[in-house]
Amino acid sequence: MTLQRLYRILFVLPAFLCLLASCKQKDKKNQPKKIAIIISSLNNPWFVFLGETAAKKAAEYGYESKIFDSQNNTSTESEHFENAIVSGYDAILFNATDADGSVASVNKAKEADIPVFCMDREINAVGVATSQILSDSYSGCVNLGKYFVQQLDKKGKYVEILGIVGDNNTWSRSKGFHSVVDLYPGLKMVAQQSADFDRNKALEVMESILSANPDIDAVFCGNDGMAMGAYQALLAAGKQNKVKVFGFDGADDVVSAIKDGKITATGMQYPALMANTAAQFAHEYFGGRKNFPEKMPVSVEMVTRKNVDNYVAYGQ
Amino acid sequence: MKTLNNTISVEKLRPLIALFLLCVVLSLLSDKFLTVNNAWNVMRQISVNICISVGMTLIVLTSGIDLSVGSVLALCGAVTAGLLKNGIPIEATNTYVGFTLLGAILAGLVVGGLLGFFNGWVITKFKVPPFVATLAMLTIARGLTMLFTKGFPISGLGKEFAFIGTGWFWGMPIPVWISLIVIIIAFWLTTRTKIGRYIYAIGGNEKAAKLSGINIKKVKITVYVIAGVLAAVGGIMVTSRLDSAQPNAGMSFELDSIAAVVIGGTSLSGGRGAILGTVLGAIIIGVLNNGLVLLNVSPFWQQVVKGFVILLAVIIDKANSKAE
Repeated sequence: MTLQRLYRILFVLPAFLCLLASCKQKDKKNQPKKIAIIISSLNNPWFVFLGETAAKKAAEYGYESKIFDSQNNTSTESEHFENAIVSGYDAILFNATDADGSVASVNKAKEADIPVFCMDREINAVGVATSQILSDSYSGCVNLGKYFVQQLDKKGKYVEILGIVGDNNTWSRSKGFHSVVDLYPGLKMVAQQSADFDRNKALEVMESILSANPDIDAVFCGNDGMAMGAYQALLAAGKQNKVKVFGFDGADDVVSAIKDGKITATGMQYPALMANTAAQFAHEYFGGRKNFPEKMPVSVEMVTRKNVDNYVAYGQ
Repeated sequence: MKTLNNTISVEKLRPLIALFLLCVVLSLLSDKFLTVNNAWNVMRQISVNICISVGMTLIVLTSGIDLSVGSVLALCGAVTAGLLKNGIPIEATNTYVGFTLLGAILAGLVVGGLLGFFNGWVITKFKVPPFVATLAMLTIARGLTMLFTKGFPISGLGKEFAFIGTGWFWGMPIPVWISLIVIIIAFWLTTRTKIGRYIYAIGGNEKAAKLSGINIKKVKITVYVIAGVLAAVGGIMVTSRLDSAQPNAGMSFELDSIAAVVIGGTSLSGGRGAILGTVLGAIIIGVLNNGLVLLNVSPFWQQVVKGFVILLAVIIDKANSKAE
């Protein structure tokens, strides 16, 4: 057999099988629907939780599902969309890598009549996704900022540790926080550094910041991993009782750290609620519902020592 | 061998001058730079990179490269943390095999050695270029880390384990002790032993080395095993400092480590360079990272500055080696 012929068979055979498979699916109504769950990055436990919760909920409804990892790369994401469309998925639960860059992919799915439900991260387009179930990071950080001001009694020196500087979540959190805190001239930001949402980097950055500014009163971190890293640096410097640490996400170890009084507050996001709602919307879509809210904001709640007993990791 | 030792001592000086200049500039710009506490900070922060970079230097000297160090670091840290915290469950009897602190650490080191052995075996047995073989390992080890941790950090590992990353001994942080021991062993290995001379010989001219009867496969595999074990040492230190094994630990650590090797004056084409140069390279990167944060330089600019420093170091190195 010539190589060329082998290639031809290799190409045609799967295509033929796909054809058979898709015909079969249309013939048999009781074939389970397939849902693709495309997640921006599985390198972060928060997103793993989001994806797995969505998969679990889809399974409860009796659907098949598969999680795709875009590895924080918009072009990998676009390949996942193409693959999902070609292999006949019936709906996509989507966590975008980029608010603008991901629009084209969602458009492709729309043209193929596949509904897309965005979870947590927004895409900057109207009428493309079937519905967007979004975590309101900005407002969440506005509330956190208010509590921050109150805890510091409107005066003091503080440090901000940012996430990945090319990520829009980093800036929506930072802007929400500063929209409040910047109104108080008594609160002075002595350092603003990035630690890439990474616990180890936050530890190292915080150690250096503490060398330059030994007398700070608080640190605001763009996620909980960095808050734990910053706390570790404060602990090593013996300043854990003097400096108040604020995080964002509502991760496992931070919830228990708030209970122990190690961390002052965090913004609790609801990945489970977002994932479950998205799966539920897909279920209703299959059942015939066509009108979904364009955007459905899921509020971010503030967790402090006072109310921490009402919360577990990633939810109530 | 005499000429070899001479070139090593000249090369040692160049990064030393760069480091000295950097320290002068930073101490002029920030009064907090030249403090004892800050010096310990920098030393503690670079100890992980030093461990990895020492292994990387040995590999680069044989004209190889190891892109998998960051992932191997993450996997070994996770294995140690996982065994320490959960042990190995045996489903048949519904019991756990618990691990002592030493046992868990040894297991982590063994995993690092095995992954390094696999790298070396693939490279020597199948003649796969080191760049490709270790690129594959970068993905494999990261995937295994995700599988092992299921994507979630393993935290709360106990005070004894945390001591490795945060404790002090005789007035010096433990991680600094560890990196010092690693440096001394590697220095001895490269300058005083047969295998050290073989490493230089292979990188200088592999064919000539082979003709003179050196067992190239054995030396190369040994080097990759050492690098794997050192990545594991780094992984255990990172995990202990954070009191948590992060599934995404060590991302892009291979770049910092290659940068340290290159700034230290080791030639990427092999055969030329020294452990002490790499140590200086790692210190330069550490001091630079620390200084940029002390001065509160915008995170956007930091990356630009770091890139230019690496470039500058290599350009100076090139110019000097031509002059010789």
